[in-house]
Amino acid sequence: MSSVKTVLASIRIGWYRDFGWTNPVTGFLMKTIAPVASVLSASIVYWLGSSAAGSFDPSHVSYIIVGAALYSHVAAYSWVPSQAISEGKWSYVFPQVFISPKSSTPFLVGRCLASFVTSTLTSLISLAFAYYVAAAIFKSSIPFIVTPLSMILLLGALLANVPATLGLGILLAAYTIFASKFEWALPTYVAGLLMVFSEALFPVSVLPWPLSAFGNVLPFTQFIRAAREAVVYGSVSAYSYYVGYSLLGGLLFLGVSLWAYRWAERQGRKKGIIDRKVV
Amino acid sequence: MWVRVMSVFNEPLWIAVNIGFPFFSSVGLGLLYSSTGLRSFVGFAILGGIMISFWGNVLWSMASQFYWDKQVGLFEIYLTSPAPMTAILIGMSLGGVVNTAPSAVLVAVAGWLFFAPPLSPSWLAVGLTFALTLASLYAMGMMLSSLYLAYGREAESINEALHEPVSLISGVYFPSIGNFSPFPFSVQVFASLIPLTIGMDALRRALFFSQGLSSIYLHLIVLSIMGGALLLLSSKTMKLLEEKGRREGQSR
Repeated sequence: MSSVKTVLASIRIGWYRDFGWTNPVTGFLMKTIAPVASVLSASIVYWLGSSAAGSFDPSHVSYIIVGAALYSHVAAYSWVPSQAISEGKWSYVFPQVFISPKSSTPFLVGRCLASFVTSTLTSLISLAFAYYVAAAIFKSSIPFIVTPLSMILLLGALLANVPATLGLGILLAAYTIFASKFEWALPTYVAGLLMVFSEALFPVSVLPWPLSAFGNVLPFTQFIRAAREAVVYGSVSAYSYYVGYSLLGGLLFLGVSLWAYRWAERQGRKKGIIDRKVV
Repeated sequence: MWVRVMSVFNEPLWIAVNIGFPFFSSVGLGLLYSSTGLRSFVGFAILGGIMISFWGNVLWSMASQFYWDKQVGLFEIYLTSPAPMTAILIGMSLGGVVNTAPSAVLVAVAGWLFFAPPLSPSWLAVGLTFALTLASLYAMGMMLSSLYLAYGREAESINEALHEPVSLISGVYFPSIGNFSPFPFSVQVFASLIPLTIGMDALRRALFFSQGLSSIYLHLIVLSIMGGALLLLSSKTMKLLEEKGRREGQSR
């Protein structure tokens, strides 16, 4: 029960950290601008390339809009546990959490979940906004399934992906316990790797083997495929397969990450790593 | 400038830190271009990756630099030192260019090795455009750094919100002005107020369509005017805010 309390308190801290500097509407708008721009950039690159090659297909724009919005969604909240540690070391918040008799895991889970809620909302807005803007600037009708069922399925996919993303976040956090410099640069690598390997913008089969095989087994790839089945292709059976794969793969990954974090935390306590500073 | 250059010289890991986003976005969008069946535009993605390194540096290490400096108590030292703030900012800019260059070169080399995009360069025009684009981009960074002095923790959120939209409308990865632009005329006019837009357009023309100085001279004139105007503006705004800070005795 006390872990649940810690998670809830941590969610509140996460939101306060993200929106406390301004009013929530401005904070929320500021967080929405970047994903919208990122989705539009990818869509325009496809439009330009395919129009010049004479192979423009409006349904592929939907493919890219969904992929670009969701890979940035995963990137946006997967690095929050790591950020909570690196920022917390500097602001002395994390040592306070760290020296408490309990594990710092619920604190990190809460921060990650707070960001998940924010990022889910910004991603859904990006999807909707990018869809309308892309339809206007490409002057074509872009297929998108918007029904109560498709929205529920999309939400289901977003939730099924939480264990995998949390797993990635906790794994990065385990690394951040040891790191004393440049750990803040991790998000750029996470976002970049997800862009290339999670089938966000192009099929992973485009990548050379074994990179394509690596991309294919990632739960994030399955999550994006499931979301596409929900709102672009409309196959419930394919959706179920992808979402099940994403959930099971994610749980497995989360288990491994939690184990790694516990180990890092124990090492951190034993060797006093958390107080290590860059001179 | 010396401090900045030495920071990378003493810590080469900085290069690895800077290269992440530009490299992966170049590869990702390069693969997207090639998956459409049009390999000839892949070079746009690599050029975009090179220039996004500098844009990132302008935002994070110029515009919001004084915010970080305030956090660690360096800004007060700048204020009390006899050196003019404009000179400090110009030094930071030059150091920023030198420090970002290795990452940009690595993106270029990796991109060219990986994709081997077709090039048709007019090197004199490329060199001149590149230099003028960086000059006006960093002058914009100097002006933003003055404006950011008025902000506290907001600086980080503003940077996060600015990075992608500016990349989008300035056409870092695709032409955002001219015949191939997907944007309406009004957006193109607005985009043209950003030095990066003019610079990217001129660089693409000079690097991929062998347009020489005679074809892109207007771009170069506009970039020169922008650079000069932004430098002047940055000096004025910095003086204003510096005086305000001294008068009120605070640097927030």
